[in-house]
Amino acid sequence: MIDIRSVSVERDGKPILAEVTAQLDQRRIAVIGANGSGKSTFARLLNGLASPTVGTVTIDGFDPSRQAREVRARVGFVFTNPDAQIVMPTVGEDVAFSLRGKGLTRSEINARTSEVLHEYGLADFVDLPAHDLSGGQKQLLALCSVLVARPSILVADEPTTLLDARNTRLVADILMDLPQQLVVVTHDLALAARCDVALLFDGGRLLQHGDPAAAIDRYERELV
Amino acid sequence: MKAGRGGRLSRLTGLYVPGRSILHRAPASVKVVGLLCVTLAASVPPPNWWLLCSLGGLVLGMFLVTRLAGRLVIQLWAMRWMLVVVLIPQLVFLAWPVAVATTGRIVIAITAASLVTLTTRTSELLSVFERALMPLRWMGVNPVRVSLVLAMTIRTVPVIADRAEQVREAQQARGRYSLRAFVVPLLVGSIRHADELADALAARGVED
Ligand SMILES: Nc1ncnc2c1ncn2[C@@H]1O[C@H](COP(=O)(O)OP(=O)(O)O)[C@@H](O)[C@H]1O
Ligand SMILES: [Mg+2]
Repeated sequence: MIDIRSVSVERDGKPILAEVTAQLDQRRIAVIGANGSGKSTFARLLNGLASPTVGTVTIDGFDPSRQAREVRARVGFVFTNPDAQIVMPTVGEDVAFSLRGKGLTRSEINARTSEVLHEYGLADFVDLPAHDLSGGQKQLLALCSVLVARPSILVADEPTTLLDARNTRLVADILMDLPQQLVVVTHDLALAARCDVALLFDGGRLLQHGDPAAAIDRYERELV
Repeated sequence: MKAGRGGRLSRLTGLYVPGRSILHRAPASVKVVGLLCVTLAASVPPPNWWLLCSLGGLVLGMFLVTRLAGRLVIQLWAMRWMLVVVLIPQLVFLAWPVAVATTGRIVIAITAASLVTLTTRTSELLSVFERALMPLRWMGVNPVRVSLVLAMTIRTVPVIADRAEQVREAQQARGRYSLRAFVVPLLVGSIRHADELADALAARGVED
């Protein structure tokens, strides 16, 4: 359960988010809005990469700013640019990196790594430099590296913005089928329409929270 | 699915190539110690043809046994200008056998090192470094962090090289060339990349 109460975020005295309140328990949540409307800041509140200036955020009762360890074990985060989140040289090592320091044996780590790479079609590339993957494969690798840690919530900030049409479709389908609760920031309104609920941001305010079709309609009518 | 394109540079970096040769199966620590011995034997004693030829033969033999001879050719070709730069001044100032022997030492050291990186997963190599650095803990060295930085550097080199290529192409498209117009966007891009990487590490639960 994601619980956000009267959250405002200011940076350099400038309001970035204002008075945002939302309780999110649906499985698939879309976040839409124009560039600069505060979507990324909202997403980053959920795992403590951003902190509220006023108000509270809790994830299953934990505060992301004060209980970062507990929250990051529950919340996986996928960024827009996979090159910036793949930190290890090869595919298998990057996935295994997520399991460091969790008290698993080497064979447990290897088993979980190959399991997740298999599931998303990257098993053949386990020893390949991550650099040799295509854009779509890199984003899948980033997703594998997050999912291998078994989070209960996945936050994705424009995960398909840098991908071509085919890979956008591939990644979108995978995200929609995940058993995890999903919070996805996106400009892909078709993807937003497939979610259970949508949040529409404008100028740092949460303008609308509810049925995706209605939120998309308002976005296209008033804000585009 | 097929693997996508890879930068020219990543092909030359000598990252792990999967295989089943004895060198692939040998423990990483043994390979590192072996590399250390070969490098010392090549560089410490005064140049000695017999010694250098046997070391060179050993390295060449290993490339053949591990079926990585193709990689050796690629690597020597990539090193050609560096070797010329090293060799020419020596030929001017020293007798040619000494110049050739010195250059030979460098070739042996570099190719032996890449033999190790080609047959060892980066993660295994890093855990050897981690263990080797353990005695330095009392000096405040954190071995895990050092090896993490090494791994991230290996990963980041081709990313930055790609970016440099993009900046160069953008300049080409506009038909303008200047060093500043090349360095500034590259630097800005690299700093942004470092910021993003820091966020990614935090999101993945690496506490510092
Ligand atoms: N750390 C920061 N410092 C100053 N301004 C920021 C910071 N992060 C975001 N902003 C500003 O806040 C606004 C909203 O940013 P962001 O949340 O990234 O929006 P979106 O993801 O919807 O494009 C933008 O105008 C951006 O320039
Ligand atoms: Mg954004």
